[in-house]
Amino acid sequence: MLKSLSLKSLLENVLFIWVGLVLVLALGADRLLLPDWVQVIGRSHPLLLHFPIVLLLLGLLFTWIPEVDQKPDFKKIGDLALLAGCNFAGLTVVAGLILAREDYDGDAILWHQWSGVAVFYLCTGLYFFRDQPKKVLKPISLLLAAGITATGHWGANITHGQDFLLAPIQEKEAEITPLAEAEVFNDMVLPILENKCMSCHKEGKIKGELRMDHIEGLQKGGKSGPFVLAGDFKNSLLIQRIDLPMEEKKHMPPKNKAQLTEEELEILTEWVANGASFEQKVVEIAPENKLFVLASKKFDSKKTYTFESADYSDIKELNNFFRKVEAIYPESPALEVSYFGIAAFDPASLNDLKKIKDQVVKLNLNKMPLAGADLSVLKELSHLEEVQANFTDLDSKQIEVLALIKTLKHLALSGNKIDSDALRSLGEMDQLISLYLWQTGLSSSDQSSLKSKLVNTEIDFGFDGSSTIYPLNSPKVSFDKMMFRDSMEVVITHPIKTVEIRYTLDGSEPDSLTSEVYKEPIWIKKTSTFRTKVFAKDWIGSPEANFQFLKSGLTPTEYKLLSTPNKQYKANGAATLFDQIKGQNNHTTGEWLGFQDEALELEMTLNSDVNYSELVIGLLYHEGAYIFPPASVEIKGFKNGAWTTIINEVPEQSQKVELPRSRMLQYDISKVEYEAIRIKLYPIASLPKWHPGAGSKGWVFVDEILVN
Amino acid sequence: MEKEELEQGLNLNRRKFLSRLSLGVGSAALGSLLIPDLFSGKESAEEDLMNALPHFAPKAKRVIYLFQNGAPSQLETFDYKPLLNQQMGKELPESIRGGQRLTGMTAGQTSFPLVGSYFPFQQYGQSRAWISSIFPHTSKIVDDICIIKSMHTEAINHDPALTFFQTGAQVGNRPSMGSWLSYGLGSENSNLPAFCVLLSRGRGNGQGVYSKLWSNGFLDATHQGVQFSNSEDPVLYLKDPDKMSRDERRKMLDQIAAMNDLSYREFNDPEITAKVQQYEMAFRMQTAVPEMTDVSKEPDSIIKLYGPDCLVPGTYAANCLLARKLSESGVRFVQLYHQGWDQHGNLPNEMALQAQDVDQASAALITDLKQRGLLDETLVIWGGEFGRTNYCQGKILADNYGRDHHPRAFSIWMAGGGVKSGMVYGETDEFGYNIAENPVHVHDFQATVMNLMGIDHERMTYKHLGRRYRLTDVSGKVVKDIIA
Repeated sequence: MLKSLSLKSLLENVLFIWVGLVLVLALGADRLLLPDWVQVIGRSHPLLLHFPIVLLLLGLLFTWIPEVDQKPDFKKIGDLALLAGCNFAGLTVVAGLILAREDYDGDAILWHQWSGVAVFYLCTGLYFFRDQPKKVLKPISLLLAAGITATGHWGANITHGQDFLLAPIQEKEAEITPLAEAEVFNDMVLPILENKCMSCHKEGKIKGELRMDHIEGLQKGGKSGPFVLAGDFKNSLLIQRIDLPMEEKKHMPPKNKAQLTEEELEILTEWVANGASFEQKVVEIAPENKLFVLASKKFDSKKTYTFESADYSDIKELNNFFRKVEAIYPESPALEVSYFGIAAFDPASLNDLKKIKDQVVKLNLNKMPLAGADLSVLKELSHLEEVQANFTDLDSKQIEVLALIKTLKHLALSGNKIDSDALRSLGEMDQLISLYLWQTGLSSSDQSSLKSKLVNTEIDFGFDGSSTIYPLNSPKVSFDKMMFRDSMEVVITHPIKTVEIRYTLDGSEPDSLTSEVYKEPIWIKKTSTFRTKVFAKDWIGSPEANFQFLKSGLTPTEYKLLSTPNKQYKANGAATLFDQIKGQNNHTTGEWLGFQDEALELEMTLNSDVNYSELVIGLLYHEGAYIFPPASVEIKGFKNGAWTTIINEVPEQSQKVELPRSRMLQYDISKVEYEAIRIKLYPIASLPKWHPGAGSKGWVFVDEILVN
Repeated sequence: MEKEELEQGLNLNRRKFLSRLSLGVGSAALGSLLIPDLFSGKESAEEDLMNALPHFAPKAKRVIYLFQNGAPSQLETFDYKPLLNQQMGKELPESIRGGQRLTGMTAGQTSFPLVGSYFPFQQYGQSRAWISSIFPHTSKIVDDICIIKSMHTEAINHDPALTFFQTGAQVGNRPSMGSWLSYGLGSENSNLPAFCVLLSRGRGNGQGVYSKLWSNGFLDATHQGVQFSNSEDPVLYLKDPDKMSRDERRKMLDQIAAMNDLSYREFNDPEITAKVQQYEMAFRMQTAVPEMTDVSKEPDSIIKLYGPDCLVPGTYAANCLLARKLSESGVRFVQLYHQGWDQHGNLPNEMALQAQDVDQASAALITDLKQRGLLDETLVIWGGEFGRTNYCQGKILADNYGRDHHPRAFSIWMAGGGVKSGMVYGETDEFGYNIAENPVHVHDFQATVMNLMGIDHERMTYKHLGRRYRLTDVSGKVVKDIIA
């Protein structure tokens, strides 16, 4: 009992020390010179403050216990708690007042400091007048409890930052800044300073005399010098301090605080390097600039929308096999609607969109048959920004409806006929950013008048085919085989139905004036060189298509090869030459006989009853594969027991590498009736200089020999 | 097969067990409030992932990939190297080659003489990009495209390189890029497949393309590329037999579906569901495809724009036009292959012919999408599987030479769909052999395409045989600099 009494009186006496100290420090702290070790006491403030809060509140609680005066044990505990609380409050206030002399300044510290002092004095007062009637004490205890809470809260705000307490339940600003509106300082730099620096460099806690919570503070800098040197990040304190190694005392943020991320560091560095402007917008930076690249990562280049999302079940219901409804990106309330399937399209289904009328921002109706459809529902779509209605047969009335949608920013009407009424309606849509009017039948004067009305709109009139002239493509020639027996039908077609097809059969080049015009299928009756081209107005004539048509001849009574073909290309031997099958333009098909080291030498015995008029040799030319025309052709006839030379010539030689092609050599043998004929074709011994394989041996490929 | 059945059964049971458990255990309700998907009975995290696709706002909604199969030479198209013309016939310095491996075709060559472009180059557009004379039409749209001159790959032969570009791996068992996008984003238009493939062949030396390039790999079979035929009838066997009505067809499909459902209940094979879905897709395609392939309603200026070959089925021009029509109708990924770019020899001649086939139609596709207001949301890609050597394969002649395969540097272009226009990205050294700045690996390219489509390539994965797979394997960086 005595012990507790002596403790009580000790504490009561100490309490007066605090009362005096607080008075001195609160009024004259800035005039006192405090030694360094006192700072340590000051910095114990955040540790000490927990004791008075708990003890004082406990003490105050005891005044509320019913009939506490009749319970001396309870009363004793309550009094002791209050007394101890007052002592701790005194110590805490003293420490706080010392700490406040470090870099703290501003309104928050003022409120915290004076409310702390007030709480201390009031509690002390309450302790000494604790025997007053309950109806006096109760309201005072309530007031004090509120004061303690408020003081604690203001103190926490200084340490943890403004609104620290309620931040998790406050409405989060989820809105993403659109790139177009983002500012370099306010949207990129400031958030970093706020999160990583400002808890120590702001009103109430201005470490190093640097304030970051207003622009003037940043411009002024701190005690070590200016905050940044525009354009010179190497010498700017901001970057220097960040770049210091973590162990250095001056490294910022201090090593126990959250550090800057790589991206944040890049943003700060680039901001300083780009002149540390406080006003610059992101869009004002050149797109190649690193800062812009960083910004485009950070901000949404798409617009953000703040309106309510549509009902999920409505969206689900509206999605079907001819209509797609989806958010423009995840979590966006804005919807994009696309129609597909011309056959299934019903204009009335547009009315379904009323369910999502506030959410549709983009509507794709390309190619849907909208002729005569009622489009007035589109006017109800309150946020509609883009309509794609290419090739939808719209009339001027419908375009007028579209023109009334003032929220529209992009409109695609390519492939719709735009008449003067529709043109007038479009001329009113000066809010448009882009307008697509290809294939709308607008004259160049219409185009320029629209351009002059919509000066801020990018209008695309598209590709106008009438002013350019391109070559046509070759016609398609269909026939059975290149070799025929009596006659053969040849059909020529071209994908453009209006062209004029002309052809020749005598080997001359087809032209647009004199050559035969193709009207109906042609019947070829003799071996001929067929050449065809197509012509049309506003087009350059096509490249020609040409074919060698061979009328199959008579088979000699006997034939034999006197030389051997290369073993890779021996096909069926001599029989190949008389099988009446024209080889394809590819020497590896087995339809061709190939000769390289030896000349082809063939002897055939002719039927004496028949008048032979013509000898045709079918050859393949393909310089890329070393296959050339023969270096020379030698033909001898046998009559009356002696061989005479009929032909000895050098056929037309290749001048360059071309694609593989069939060619034929035709010779007249009608003058003399021979009993037998020998043909000799010499491959080129040394390829010409211009060829990649210059100097090597050339090849001769033969697939057919005809006698008529 | 037995293993799959067993696994399916187990999966189903586990899922059911978990979801029932979650209903029964009331005390766990609090836990599920804190962890919302704790008892949702989801089979795997992949489902959650897929529900969240796209990961962010997409810049492109659709892709048209004009694959130039065989590898067109960058040195005769977009990568202008006057030094090669000045040093024509001189030996490639070993310091530049740096031990680069050779293909079997030039490994026997004792000398590597430099060879310059046969075709003259000129600068075009505001970007002042260099383009050779074989691309007169492409040079007109240069301000709408982004030329990447610093592509590089790992493979040196056609098949692995092509497979690498399309599937992210050199061996062919992975899903193609189009399959990944079909899996991740689905189809916009439920009447058409999400992934279509169109083939054409040029007049130059060609290399094969195989269906493994548009394979769904380990993904569900519905994500396989649908190859359109080169004939007048692009999707074979789509027409109903004579006298069969739509109603009869519908009834038949319903009966088949009912039977398939029975066997699904018995075996739980997911391939059965895929098959039913494919039947339904085919039924809807019966009306959608004829609409699509009908070019008779195309205006005359379109024929001029793409060139008259666009009316000849199976040509590159016709495929470009069809690609636009498919893409415009919501097909997520249209993959073209044009064969014939493998110029080991006879290069000037063959490249001129190849260019004639593709130049006008490629440029037309850009112009056409633009005049319909669709270029902004459609990504167009033009390029081959690797580049070609700066030295000659075989003998150099004034107008004839060849180039071998070169994986270290080559050029492609991209346009629309959120790619910066009028830009030239990356640079090779003055020999055109090595990359001097901003290299773009094939995986980087794939990551960028994914990013433009709103997908984080690192997050879209699929678990198969015990590991997670992704298109970009374990690498790939989005080339942010080319994204608008």
